[in-house]
Amino acid sequence: MSDAGAPTWRLPPRWVLLVAVLSIVAAEVGGGAMARFKVELTRWARDGMLARPGVHGLVGVRDVDERILDEALVKFDAGLRLFHMHAEGMGLVIIATSMVAATVIQRAAARRAIIALLTVGGAGYPVGYLAWSALIPAYGLERSKAIAEWLVWVPFGTATIVALWGLVGCVAWTMLARRRA
Amino acid sequence: MSSRTIVAPALLAALVALSAPARAHHVGSYVPRDNAVTTNFKQVKFSVQAQKFDVALKLFDEGPLRAEMRAHAAALPADLEEGTRAALAAGDGREVERRLMVFFAALSRDLALEADRQLARPGVSADAQIATGRKFLEAIWRYYNLVDFAVATRDNKASVAMRLAFDEADGYVKPAAGGAAPANPENLRKPLQRIAQVLSSLIESSAPPSSSTPPRRNS
Repeated sequence: MSDAGAPTWRLPPRWVLLVAVLSIVAAEVGGGAMARFKVELTRWARDGMLARPGVHGLVGVRDVDERILDEALVKFDAGLRLFHMHAEGMGLVIIATSMVAATVIQRAAARRAIIALLTVGGAGYPVGYLAWSALIPAYGLERSKAIAEWLVWVPFGTATIVALWGLVGCVAWTMLARRRA
Repeated sequence: MSSRTIVAPALLAALVALSAPARAHHVGSYVPRDNAVTTNFKQVKFSVQAQKFDVALKLFDEGPLRAEMRAHAAALPADLEEGTRAALAAGDGREVERRLMVFFAALSRDLALEADRQLARPGVSADAQIATGRKFLEAIWRYYNLVDFAVATRDNKASVAMRLAFDEADGYVKPAAGGAAPANPENLRKPLQRIAQVLSSLIESSAPPSSSTPPRRNS
């Protein structure tokens, strides 16, 4: 078996690598800040919720309200954790998939479009979790989720999914073309 | 008909289909946790069940359960807190259970009364009232559920009446299926009032010390 016909792995453009590494850096900084400022963050979120009882459906009875606040704080914390995990993971996904795209896709326009979608979608999607957490105290669980969904998760998630399917198609096309040749 | 007029809608449809998974992101799940009072109750209860009355007494003396009893003293039968402490010191498990049952029944009753009061407020939308009712019912059940077994073994009529009233109230706060009109909040007030009545009767009938009398069964 020979490697003579195998393509050489190509690096994606530098700006793509920069965005991917920045995403990982943001994830690490976010994770560290979450642990370091856990009390302050929780207090900020709790104060924000108590300042808007109507938004969160607080009824003024501690036995009822404590569960509502607890759920919102758990979700606030979950949003920060999910940002940390997704930003870390998507940074690596951007590097891996854009490298595949740079190596496999021959047509320059298609390659540039797929790499751009993978990078923008991959780096933008995790920010939705950060936005969701930040919006919970002001807008409540459901409304903040809807805002993050339509402003961040759906557009950036769609960009990533479309780019990944495009990449799948390109890889499959390359395989078929090689077989024909 | 040009190829663009076919390709553009097809691409748009593909985009819409592809964007569907982007909405199905993971946002974590929430499992309601015990609060300080219910946690302390469970600690005391399990210590009593294990016949570790010294441990139970220490947990009661230092825990939020006793503080909560003191905070609600005005709405509770006289000497409930001191009597609970005395029963723990005497190693009387049944009396401890009875007094804690009375305490949580009183907390549940007060929540039912407050829910009824809030639902009677004018100028609040039906949806908001239903949401408020749902939250109160969750809180009522969280407390009552802790002592339901103790209630059932002493006064199973009260236990059944409480469950029936709760189920009825719960039915009114469930989301309307198939676009049906939301339940009338006025309907929700009746089972809440019944919950308060049942628990008030239970508290009254359980108030005098009865450690020497056998448990009452109604059926």
